Amino acid sequence: MNAVVVGVGNEFRRDDGVGPAVARAVAAHGVRAEVTDGDPVRLMEAWGEADLVVVVDALRCVPATPGRVHRVTLDGAVPSATSSHGFGVPEAVELAEALDRLPRRLVVLGVEVAEVGFGPDLTPAVRAAVPGVVAAVLDELRLGGAL
Amino acid sequence: MTHRSNRTLRVAGLARVEGEGALRVRTANGRVDDVELDIYEPPRFFEAFLRGRSHREPPDITARICGICPVAYQMSACLAIEDACGVQVPAPVRALRRLLYCGEWISSHALHIHLLHAPDFLGLPDGIAMAAEHRPVVERGLALKKAGNAIMDLVGGRAIHPVNVRVGGFYRAPTRAELRPLAEQLRHALDDALATAAWVSTFDFPDLDVPHDLMALRDTEGYPIDRGVPHVSTGASFPVPAFSEHVVEHQVPHSTALHARLDGEMYLVGPLARYSLNADRLSPAAAGAAADAGLGPVCRNPFRSIVVRAVEVVYAVEEALRLIADYEPPEPAAVEVTARAGVGHGVTEAPRGLLYHRYELDAAGLVVSADIVPPTSQNQSAIEDDVRQLVTSYLDLDDHALVSLCERAIRNYDPCISCSAHFLDFHREDR
Repeated sequence: MNAVVVGVGNEFRRDDGVGPAVARAVAAHGVRAEVTDGDPVRLMEAWGEADLVVVVDALRCVPATPGRVHRVTLDGAVPSATSSHGFGVPEAVELAEALDRLPRRLVVLGVEVAEVGFGPDLTPAVRAAVPGVVAAVLDELRLGGAL
Repeated sequence: MTHRSNRTLRVAGLARVEGEGALRVRTANGRVDDVELDIYEPPRFFEAFLRGRSHREPPDITARICGICPVAYQMSACLAIEDACGVQVPAPVRALRRLLYCGEWISSHALHIHLLHAPDFLGLPDGIAMAAEHRPVVERGLALKKAGNAIMDLVGGRAIHPVNVRVGGFYRAPTRAELRPLAEQLRHALDDALATAAWVSTFDFPDLDVPHDLMALRDTEGYPIDRGVPHVSTGASFPVPAFSEHVVEHQVPHSTALHARLDGEMYLVGPLARYSLNADRLSPAAAGAAADAGLGPVCRNPFRSIVVRAVEVVYAVEEALRLIADYEPPEPAAVEVTARAGVGHGVTEAPRGLLYHRYELDAAGLVVSADIVPPTSQNQSAIEDDVRQLVTSYLDLDDHALVSLCERAIRNYDPCISCSAHFLDFHREDR
């Protein structure tokens, strides 16, 4: 199964850089990884023709537990309650569905973040979570037979 | 609500713009009191971030300011650094840069036209509805965007944040054989681009003629993309190093983006300005597309900017084909740029308009100060003025209709509110 890992985020907005950080670490294992800013079209382009797509994105929760990881999977079906005003992943999924470009399997790993002000570094709690998220991504790839 | 009451219109998160922005309009007694376009954009953060870096780094760092037009940032940065070091790149390097830049224009404009802007003319809420109801058109648009991406992939090393660009040229120049398949893809793209221009010309355009001064680059030949001299619709022009004498930025309280004035006046950069100052420089196919679409020699209606963008896509595809046909790999791929103390300026035409960079280097080649003036902050005052005009003319509309008209006025400029963060957010403010 051909796979791609997509890190969504902006490395200059503190914890929003968690997706790109994970994508870079995964790429070191020889896995195809892309970094994108979360625009739905660019996100859809990033996964291209891959059968298995693992998206890593920052997640803002109230109240937050920075570093906690949430996992959502999508197997060829769209959850019905996504808002068309949402940014990024839900919108990309809807757009891809309208164009028959959904991957066979899509896994979204959302990492709860603490700070998203301007600056280049992750906060300690989120930085500490990166190795675990990288391991989780590699597990998804093994599970999908892509590694 | 009647137009006699006091109203406040709020758009918390503008849809279908690149990044995050908000709009507030206040009216009182049938008059527009106040229009504020909030842009959370931190150019100053990046300018501070660049200080103390080596003169080779700004192209890479500034490209990450904006995943939407990284090539524009790289090109303006390279020109400014090379200017500071007294280097002019040879013609083959310049041609390859222009080819890369054409890729970005095609990709950026194709996305805006089809998924961000066209829904406004078709009464659709978003790109998803667009894809569902006009699938063949959206597929054509995405194929066009893909052709632009393919140029950026091949010449730039990858589509997002190209890695092959360096001060002085490129790390590696593609061979003639590597460019050949690209020409094949671009020949199809030219048909798609012409069809797109014909399609958008059939839209219904609200009447609005903006009085603002228009500023764009103009070059000795060709349509301005990767270089040129600033020209203004008043007939004025000035050399690149004089940019900061003519364009003065000032802080406004409601936005982190700075507002700019050109010789004290509100002004516009971008497709309308570029076209109105350079229509005579279009390639044959692009000039034909412009004439067929009903564009005159000057276009001052922001709603018609979608037509100008479509014409610019035709131009960029044709220009890319020409550059590939004439391609001579630069040898070497990059010229040496030795650091020295000095100040350099670089301007290029990003898809959204003129992008200015200025760097001061010390003798060791470290950045002492950096100044970046992006197109969206130059346009911000004029955008607010357009909203003010529209609200004044259409006060009788109900809030919902008026808000959507204001949003359209903003989307006309394809504003890029860069450095935004995107989240899977559990809490959204309902509009």
